[in-house]
Amino acid sequence: MLTFYFRGTDQGAAGGAQGAVLEVVGPLQKGTSVVTKPFRDGWNWTTGLFRANSENEALREEVEQLRAGLAQELITQAENEELRALVKLDGRDIFPDGVELVTGRVVARSTTAWYSTVTIDLGSDDGVGVFDAVVNGSGLVGRVTSVAGDWSQVTLITDQQSYVDSIVMPGGAEGILNGSVTGDVSLGYVDKNERVKVGQHVLTSGRKGSIFVRGIPVGVVESVGAQEVELYQSISVKPFVDFRKLDIVQVVVR
Amino acid sequence: MKFQRTNADRESWKWPSPREIVRLVVTLLAAVLLQTTIAPHIRILGANPDFALIIVVCVALLRGAEVGAIFGFLTGGLVAVALMEPVGLGAFIFVLVGYYAGRYAETADLSAGFAPLVSAFAATFVATALYAIAQVLLERQAPLGFFLGRVFVPSLILNTLLAGPLYVVVRFWLKEGGDLREARVA
Repeated sequence: MLTFYFRGTDQGAAGGAQGAVLEVVGPLQKGTSVVTKPFRDGWNWTTGLFRANSENEALREEVEQLRAGLAQELITQAENEELRALVKLDGRDIFPDGVELVTGRVVARSTTAWYSTVTIDLGSDDGVGVFDAVVNGSGLVGRVTSVAGDWSQVTLITDQQSYVDSIVMPGGAEGILNGSVTGDVSLGYVDKNERVKVGQHVLTSGRKGSIFVRGIPVGVVESVGAQEVELYQSISVKPFVDFRKLDIVQVVVR
Repeated sequence: MKFQRTNADRESWKWPSPREIVRLVVTLLAAVLLQTTIAPHIRILGANPDFALIIVVCVALLRGAEVGAIFGFLTGGLVAVALMEPVGLGAFIFVLVGYYAGRYAETADLSAGFAPLVSAFAATFVATALYAIAQVLLERQAPLGFFLGRVFVPSLILNTLLAGPLYVVVRFWLKEGGDLREARVA
């Protein structure tokens, strides 16, 4: 059965069976998701209170630093606007012509720590296909890995087998963003000679052949390290998306 | 405890009646629905409860090794299909869990009443370990500390605590066919 599954395709018998079962289970998952949402929100709010207390001190320090950096930020912002005008890029123009964003909701999550996947209430009937990028208001969520009529499975960027062609801005250092079972996300294959700093933004590079369009925000560089024996830098990235509270998402349909 | 079947065991074995099979099918569907609709929304200490595994253990304790193994195979397969996970892995692990939990019920003294908790603990231990080994073979790796602290131990605690109430419910639902303990006492 395992051999049959791993050697089969999404359109094969195993994929077809999964799609058929999901058509039955999907509405139930959606209903449960709606019913349990107030409880999940309540739990998140309670745990958030405890977290907020410990974060308070750190935030005070951060405010001091931000005040110092504000002047520099205003200058950078002015430069940024000029550059945007030059390349005629604004927030709404991230996605090229012909791309459609379809909005849906997360209805289920993987129950094991080994897989970072969610099920959403969009499928082939909505035009969603395998390898479509999935985003939300904060940035890149993942990519579609299986599709049924009204439901799809999305592999999150925190999954161990998720690879995203990415670029660090400013600077333009390119690398491959990879998740892990622990939920940590790292940017690999960045040359040691590239200068990458903490706080820089990571975006999808959208190189030719990439399944993601260029410029989708992914996260911010959290730490940078390099050992002499290694060829590449070790870069940890904090995703913009809070995967614990993932609810409304958009699929980039091409 | 001996896991090998005797001739007397084989002769006394009988298949469940049609009514019992209907009840088992309902239990199977309930297990799959609980695991695919409720469990994903409950996360404590980083682990989700494994309702399907616990219900397989309960059914095996109440109905024996053969029924436990078949029930485990179907539950594992259906849950994997519904959650779009690799098909076959859960079925394989649940067959083992169902069979050995059933054999435990057929051979051990269950009068103390904590058999469901012990069985759920052992089943979670074995299932989590086997699942981790399979994931490593599938080239998914996790640091040992993370695995023990965020997967293994929380799952053991959560499933063991849930085994008691779930066993009471499953036993009540499958009561019509009697259970192994009552059969042996009689």
